Amino acid sequence: MTDNLNPSSESRIERLNALIAKTEKPTRYMGGELNMRVKDPIGLFRFALCFPDTYEIGMSHLGSRIIYNVLNKRGDTYCERSYAPWVDMEQLLRESGERLFSIETKTPLDRFDILGFSLLYEMCYTNILSMLSLSGIPLLSSERGEDAPLICAGGPCVCNPEPIADIIDLFFFGDGEELVNDFMDVYADLKKHGASKREILLAASQIEGIYVPAFYRAEYENGQFTRLIKTEPSAPDRIVRRIVRDLDKAEFTGDLIVPYMSIVHDRIALELFRGCTRGCRFCQAGFIYRPIRERKMDTLICYADEQLRRTGHDEVSLFSLSSGDYTEIHELVPAVLGRYTKDRVSVSFPSLRIDSFLKDDLEKMQGVRKTGLTFAPEAGTQRMRDVINKGVNEEDLLRSVRDAFEAGWQGVKLYFMIGLPTETDEDILGIAELARKVSREFYSMPKEKRGKGLRCTVSASTFVPKPFTPFQWEPQITVEEVLRRQALLRSALKGIRGVEFNCHFSETSRLEACYARGDRRLGAVMIGAFRRGARFDSWDEHFNKEAWDDSFAEQGLTIEQFANRRIGIDEPLAWQHMDALVTIDYLKKEHARSMEGAVTPDCREKCNGCFGEKCGSYCEMHAPGSKFNHRKEAGEE
Amino acid sequence: MRIIATFSKLAPVRFVSHLDMQRLFQRAFRRAGLPLAYSQGFNPHPLLSFATALSVGYTSECEFFDVTLTEEVSPDEFTDRVNAVLPEGVRIIDAVDAGEFKASLTPLMLSAEYDVTLTFDPSVDKASIENAVSELLGGEIVVDKKTKGGIKPVDIRPMLIDFRLLSIEGSKARFALSGKLTAEGGLPPELLFKALYEKLGVSAVSSVHRKIIEMDWSMLK
Repeated sequence: MTDNLNPSSESRIERLNALIAKTEKPTRYMGGELNMRVKDPIGLFRFALCFPDTYEIGMSHLGSRIIYNVLNKRGDTYCERSYAPWVDMEQLLRESGERLFSIETKTPLDRFDILGFSLLYEMCYTNILSMLSLSGIPLLSSERGEDAPLICAGGPCVCNPEPIADIIDLFFFGDGEELVNDFMDVYADLKKHGASKREILLAASQIEGIYVPAFYRAEYENGQFTRLIKTEPSAPDRIVRRIVRDLDKAEFTGDLIVPYMSIVHDRIALELFRGCTRGCRFCQAGFIYRPIRERKMDTLICYADEQLRRTGHDEVSLFSLSSGDYTEIHELVPAVLGRYTKDRVSVSFPSLRIDSFLKDDLEKMQGVRKTGLTFAPEAGTQRMRDVINKGVNEEDLLRSVRDAFEAGWQGVKLYFMIGLPTETDEDILGIAELARKVSREFYSMPKEKRGKGLRCTVSASTFVPKPFTPFQWEPQITVEEVLRRQALLRSALKGIRGVEFNCHFSETSRLEACYARGDRRLGAVMIGAFRRGARFDSWDEHFNKEAWDDSFAEQGLTIEQFANRRIGIDEPLAWQHMDALVTIDYLKKEHARSMEGAVTPDCREKCNGCFGEKCGSYCEMHAPGSKFNHRKEAGEE
Repeated sequence: MRIIATFSKLAPVRFVSHLDMQRLFQRAFRRAGLPLAYSQGFNPHPLLSFATALSVGYTSECEFFDVTLTEEVSPDEFTDRVNAVLPEGVRIIDAVDAGEFKASLTPLMLSAEYDVTLTFDPSVDKASIENAVSELLGGEIVVDKKTKGGIKPVDIRPMLIDFRLLSIEGSKARFALSGKLTAEGGLPPELLFKALYEKLGVSAVSSVHRKIIEMDWSMLK
């Protein structure tokens, strides 16, 4: 065997090492980290978990950590990792003619049986193309033969898989813990009998939560998507999102890989629960991870003990969509702090709601490292917050920041969105007003009671309408309007003591809106943009506007027709074959309520019927004997 | 108590930067359950310091760190417990109790010896290499060195103690190299190689392994 053909030959690895040595950050590609899974790949199915962004981002992703563990627990599979090579490595690979490789065994990706991409945000799609192209794998599924790996994808963007439907062979829709195992069982069985790719896809399409886009064809009329037609009779009409019913018993991350370089979230993430009961109308995660499912406190502490021992990390993050809502939060926080503070382990909350935070917990956290606190009022006026169903008021926010300032914090971040449906200039100016009140709250405290100087960062991102939210029909405001509102806010914030303004570039938000609600025609646009040099689109310094503009023009499409158009409430939606469990009738009802400024209660208080007829069978929130009921009853006593 | 340890950093971790090595050891100590002492102040950090940094890409069998623990742990036990939890490519070779010695290890350093392999492109014959090396040894070696104030020409010859061709096989040539390595600075091997490549009119890929750091241990007693 010549060395070019032998994927793991020593001289090939030596050549790769020489390339790795030339990169800016060699530890992105080097592997060999503590707790990396090592297996003899001979006779095993080779699965490459591909993250279409850099190592330091991909290694921080909890879902990938879980799937890596789930797949490697299987005796018949070896799951390895691969990340989008940074531009320096991409160039080195192209110049040398080497193919993109896995971290664990440095095997070229085209030698794997299956590639599984994580779709966390729309702006990573061109990196998928880059990774396929650097592996010598044809971009379109229709152009890939039996030799090419099966290209799969999972993650939140699968809610609307259509813009990349021509590239991916098979999508995993929903929670992956059980779904990937079900798929691998079917795959393993068929492979043993020498099944073809088509036979595998046919069998896989029968598994709940799997979508094989090649079995459907899209139709358009007058430049608009009209419907999806099944070309394969046995394929399901609707693809139902998979959920793990008992999260507490579900597989978790196992021993975390301990990176050498510092990664974005360099800590142990304990997922307290999945789903969120609040129903903020802009938030896709709030709808597509329903119903709420919690892990038991004992299970979480057990994971924390084990992970700390196995990794040597010094930070634990209590992770979820709204950690303050965890049923036993006031038991969990003191328990975790009490257990680990002496070992100098710090505890962080990535997502805290203003109204759920208690002063006691703040003071307890003070003992450890004091990182910044982040609050997300999302909008500046009560009217606007009611439209988006963000059930917090000004008093909640001001009380929370006061508590934080009294506990010694002097850095707070305030997150807002601009361009929300029905927003007026008054709502924008309301953001500045709120920031002014926060600043006043700080400086009106006696000097000895507070920190030296306030560092209040006001961040304003641009609203992006997303599928499976009540705002999925709403347009995004135009780029000119985004810039005008940003300027208005910037000038209104001027001169407020201790306040800094931070806002996101709007060109990428527009493309994100376009791809979030786009249809299959956007696949060709994406390929065209990639060929013109687009990649790492979410990195502002890499965003290549010209490549995208030219590619849209080439296909006779515009970004505006997807991003800035109001979709009629009864129009066909490109993602209507995806059943995310939350019904379209519920979303329509919520949309109507938002326009009236009517607030919908947290589903812990009352079932709002978001799953329609599936409420009883899929969500246990209000079932007799549910732990959520317990809390409510206890609270009423 | 304070422990002084010698460790190796081999091929699997040769790209791990100095800063990342510090975190690697901190995490290893935590996994080993060792009672680390921390600095006082707003942002306490473990009392762990390295004698010197090793360039990214180099390997070594003679790096030093010292670490302070809040309880007595025998150096042998320390070695065993840390080695049990280190990733592949890093090993504690030896550990001693620092006793009364409280100062930093860095001022004890005198010089370092390296095993060097240069893979030339195109390959060069033995006589040419030997000529070039003896020319380098015979006069000033002025190289462009990056300093705080920008790039400056510096003569590195006074830092060079010995540079010898050991063997040659195809395009690969092995050398023994020793140079000064002190708290004030040391011989930068890469700059010496660059001077050699310029003399030979070729390029090469270098592989450098640090074998010994000479230390003035008399200060420890």
